[in-house]
Amino acid sequence: MQTVLAGILAATIGSPPEGGGDGVAHGATAMLLVPALTLLGVVLTGLCAAFRVKNKLPAWISVGLLAASFVIVLKTYLEQSTGVRIAHGFEWITFSLGQHNGGPIPFVANFSLYVDSLTLLWMLFVTGLGALIALYASEYMSHDVGAGYCRFFAAFNLFVFSMSCLVMADNLLLLFLGWEGVGLCSYLLIGYFYKKPAAVAAAKKAFIMNRIGDLGLVLGMMGTFVAFGTIQMVPLFDMISRGVDGAGQPIGGTWVEWVLPMLFTVGAFGKSAQLFFYVWLPDAMEGPTPVSALIHAATMVTAGVFLIARMMPLYTLDESHFILSAVAWSGAITAFWAATIGMAHFDIKRIMGYSTVSQLGFMFAGLGVMTSTGAAFHVFTHAFFKATLFLACGAVMHGFAGQLDLRKLSGLRKMPGWRIVALAMLVGALNLAGFPLLAGYWSKDIILAEAFVMNGPVGWILLLTAGLTAYYTFRAYFRVFEGPVEYHAGDDHHGADDHAHDRHGHDGHDGHDAHDAHAKAEHGHEGHGGHGGHGGEFHPHAPGWAINLVLTVLSVGCFAIIPLTFMGDHGGWVGTMVHHSTAHIEHAGDPALAPHGTFLGMDPHKVMYYVSGIVGFVGIAVAWWLHLAGRTSAATSRADALAAKLGPIVRGARGRWYVDEIYDFLICRPLWVLAHVFHQVDQWIVDGLVNLTGGLPRFVGATVRPSQSGELHGYAVGMAGGVAVLLIVVLLAVT
Amino acid sequence: MLSITTTPAWGEFTFDAGQALLPGMVGYAKVMIAAVGLLLLMLMAGTVDRTDEERIAAGRASFDPLRSNRAEFYAFFLFSLTGLMLVAGADTLLWMFLALELTSLPTYIMVAISTQRNRSREAAVKYFFLGALGAAVFLYGFTLIYGGCGTARLNEIHDHIALHGINTLTMAGIMLSLLGLGFKIAAVPMHFYTPDVYEGAAPQVSAFLAFVPKTAGFMAILLLAATIGWTYDPGAVKGVIRASEHGTQLPEAVRVLLWVMAAMTMTVGNILAVLQSSVKRILAYSSIAHSGYMLVGVIAGPGDGSFTGSGVGAVLFYLMAYGVMNVGAFAVLAALERGRRDDGDAIEIETVDDLRGLWSSHPRMALVMLVCNLSLLGMPPLLGFFGKLPLFTSAIGAGEVPLVIVLGVNSAIAAYYYLRLAFVPMLENADRGAGAPRAAPFRSREIAGLLSAAGVIALAVFGASIMKRVEAAAKVSPTIAEIQATATP
Repeated sequence: MQTVLAGILAATIGSPPEGGGDGVAHGATAMLLVPALTLLGVVLTGLCAAFRVKNKLPAWISVGLLAASFVIVLKTYLEQSTGVRIAHGFEWITFSLGQHNGGPIPFVANFSLYVDSLTLLWMLFVTGLGALIALYASEYMSHDVGAGYCRFFAAFNLFVFSMSCLVMADNLLLLFLGWEGVGLCSYLLIGYFYKKPAAVAAAKKAFIMNRIGDLGLVLGMMGTFVAFGTIQMVPLFDMISRGVDGAGQPIGGTWVEWVLPMLFTVGAFGKSAQLFFYVWLPDAMEGPTPVSALIHAATMVTAGVFLIARMMPLYTLDESHFILSAVAWSGAITAFWAATIGMAHFDIKRIMGYSTVSQLGFMFAGLGVMTSTGAAFHVFTHAFFKATLFLACGAVMHGFAGQLDLRKLSGLRKMPGWRIVALAMLVGALNLAGFPLLAGYWSKDIILAEAFVMNGPVGWILLLTAGLTAYYTFRAYFRVFEGPVEYHAGDDHHGADDHAHDRHGHDGHDGHDAHDAHAKAEHGHEGHGGHGGHGGEFHPHAPGWAINLVLTVLSVGCFAIIPLTFMGDHGGWVGTMVHHSTAHIEHAGDPALAPHGTFLGMDPHKVMYYVSGIVGFVGIAVAWWLHLAGRTSAATSRADALAAKLGPIVRGARGRWYVDEIYDFLICRPLWVLAHVFHQVDQWIVDGLVNLTGGLPRFVGATVRPSQSGELHGYAVGMAGGVAVLLIVVLLAVT
Repeated sequence: MLSITTTPAWGEFTFDAGQALLPGMVGYAKVMIAAVGLLLLMLMAGTVDRTDEERIAAGRASFDPLRSNRAEFYAFFLFSLTGLMLVAGADTLLWMFLALELTSLPTYIMVAISTQRNRSREAAVKYFFLGALGAAVFLYGFTLIYGGCGTARLNEIHDHIALHGINTLTMAGIMLSLLGLGFKIAAVPMHFYTPDVYEGAAPQVSAFLAFVPKTAGFMAILLLAATIGWTYDPGAVKGVIRASEHGTQLPEAVRVLLWVMAAMTMTVGNILAVLQSSVKRILAYSSIAHSGYMLVGVIAGPGDGSFTGSGVGAVLFYLMAYGVMNVGAFAVLAALERGRRDDGDAIEIETVDDLRGLWSSHPRMALVMLVCNLSLLGMPPLLGFFGKLPLFTSAIGAGEVPLVIVLGVNSAIAAYYYLRLAFVPMLENADRGAGAPRAAPFRSREIAGLLSAAGVIALAVFGASIMKRVEAAAKVSPTIAEIQATATP
């Protein structure tokens, strides 16, 4: 059935697949259906909007199409052997550029998919989680049924389309199309509540921060074309493996070995919120929670990891691995930095946001210490447990009218109907904390062990961060789900459509009064909202079947992926997948290649299991002592006394180390001043010149215009005269 | 006659000595003409006699066959399209002339009867007399070519030129022919009629004028250029001009003529369009400018034969693209009216300001306006961009860099008025007194507009197969020297 559909698709949208004269297997054409189906989803949900559908139809369309996509990916995975397959869609762009060595340089970018095991790994969780989260969103977004609902699912489908283009692209241009597409969808979905200033600001921030990274990617793409004469993956990797560039010369020099990887790294850092670019991701939590779970935790933000993993052959050209060690350091620093902020925040969704930044840091550190297996495995497990965590937070937010402040919620586990959410949260938290034998523990362990082998300091930073992670994760869990039952509703009331969301946002800037339930009493409430805070008036509504089902599936999934750690010969199932892809590093872990570091004189590979387990326990225990043991109300805990003693450190972390303020001062303010200066220059000097120049065509036009007098004989004379003048001009020019 | 009626199938052909010069063009052109012709036909609905019929239907008048023009109008419409198809297949100068006139003569009458206003009749008279002058010029040119080569068959002229070079008489004939054909494509210095005629005719007829005679003119120009061949040494100017094996240009004199015509045409068209406030005049001047762009492709020649390398292919593709997007832009004008006169004639959209508030009153038409004008401007994801792209690349490939710069600057100037046309309907609100335009009672005009807009997007996304057809259509017959070289290895 699918192959038939794929055949029809290929026949209608383009030429049949060309013979594999280049020695690359063609096939896996079914994968073309994934972008086709998701694009169909965009069209159908768009039609729903056009026909003003007022029910959950768009959600079911999306869930159905995404589930079908997942089945297709799964089927392709089961059929696929280890090689690379090119699924040729249609010819997209073919140019001949300039002249070089007697022949034009072809610039080819087809709509073709590069399907190898790395692609399949990513596509499996993109489509699988996409389908699950769409199901979750069908309930979560139900208060917006109508135009907003259609808009949400259209953007959701467009996101999966873009992501599949990004992950499966057989050339850098298609990858870039997907890259920009996911950026656009991220912008659209963060700003979903477009009447809410905080959401709009967050959307803009995410979009603009990403532009800087995208510039890196564009330059990297151009550089690749300049150096290799192609942007297609197959010839590119072929040349790299043979060690020659586009002109047939041996690869060498800073350009290819340093500058190109650096440009791609900048692109990856922008999309994955690393180092200087991380500030957009926590703010992106303004979007609806399913979006945070899918885009800003599980899939889109791992595109940077994917890019580096895909281009790994380019990174390993340099014998000294300078760029890779820079990536490792950046990842470790980001991981630590974000964890410290996550420890001090009170908004559980923001905590998860910082946690995502921190975990992405782990993945980059993994890439940097050359365990692309560890990085990819952590991407995979993180996709599961972080989605679980976000969706559990979303269920809380959905049930308590937008309340996310961990000082205003307590003991949810004991409330009727919240057991599944609490259990899912616990599963996610245990994974994130690296509780022994769980999936998150295994994947983090690989990265930690390799970090100690390759780069000791990075290893120590990551180990410390692992402890902090366990602490802040369980701080959130113990505060919200354990302890005495107490809750205060948020001020976010689900209206009939998204226009109801024009009130202030979940402002995480100071975390103190943002969610004061008493603050807003004057606006009208619809439905179940009610303004809480006075005990009995507010009734939290426990999640329905869709949310519970998805949480259950994901929690079970978190356990189900544990056996994957032990499958295959190359360090687990993910390791096998990575081993057969471009992300495989030939001599990774080769003692001759790098200093074989130790952990306090012991082999990291052997002791790290115990060490990281102990560190996780310590973090959880500290969180228990400070935030659960002996706590009598939602708002107070033992940590308050400690926070008072630590004073400036806690304030700094709560203020997000004032990075936003520093950026504002260092970058925004100067730019703002400069903009005003330029504005004045523009208004008085440039505009004057432009008006002068702009007057020229007008002046010319005005002088020519009388020739259009409308008089027949005038025109005839003009024509005859024109013929004569032109002939004379030619005569003069030629002889 | 046989050779023009029996044409090779769409996209299939083989080369033979003594056959058509652009053997693939005929099939491509006929399909293109038929497709755009269908769009135009939908646009024409209700053009003539509508008010008469309403009166008859209301019992206020009785049917008078002498007063009814409807049958004539559509007969002329079909005659003109027939002529256009015949131009594509012309193999002698005589047939080319007759086909060109068959294309043009009906349009004069269509302009005259398209509305009941005197403005249309004035426009038709101007169009007719100036058209006769233009025809006289290229007919004179054809005669001189016949005198210079001793034959009117295009492939024999081609062989004569390839073997004996271009003599002065032939050269003069070619010059005059190209200038005279400039009238059909509205190129400087034969462009004067364009704005007056487009403004005088009903918008749907203006759309017809912007596509049909222009296509006829360009196909005739391409055939003439193929007769000369693009294989002249740039240096071989003095003395006898002969085809060389390595040259990649038209003869210098022809090249200079076309160069000046192209540069002048696009510049004059764009600059005068900037000054206009009437939508139809803007579109008329921009139609002049588009002819200038396409002339660049004629100069560039077949190049390496690829889609981006062939100027001939670029012209053929651009004709199709221009036909589609231009119909869309005029369809908006044809599908809207500002009210009715006492005699029942529609009051048309005149100025750009009349389009204000279209987004709130007719969002579909505003979208068509947006899409088609952005495409006419050459915005990247749309059809117009893929039309313009090979013009640029083929001209760069042929070494015409200064002309490409002129082309680029002109494309930028065009943004001024196209963006205005695209965004005024979307962003500006109607004056309170005037009110937004309302829909004309002809649904098919609206559908034509929507189809064009859809085509602008769809053909850009899935244009690869058309591009392949264009590559095949733009194949030029090998020169006789090449045929001899392959025959005797």
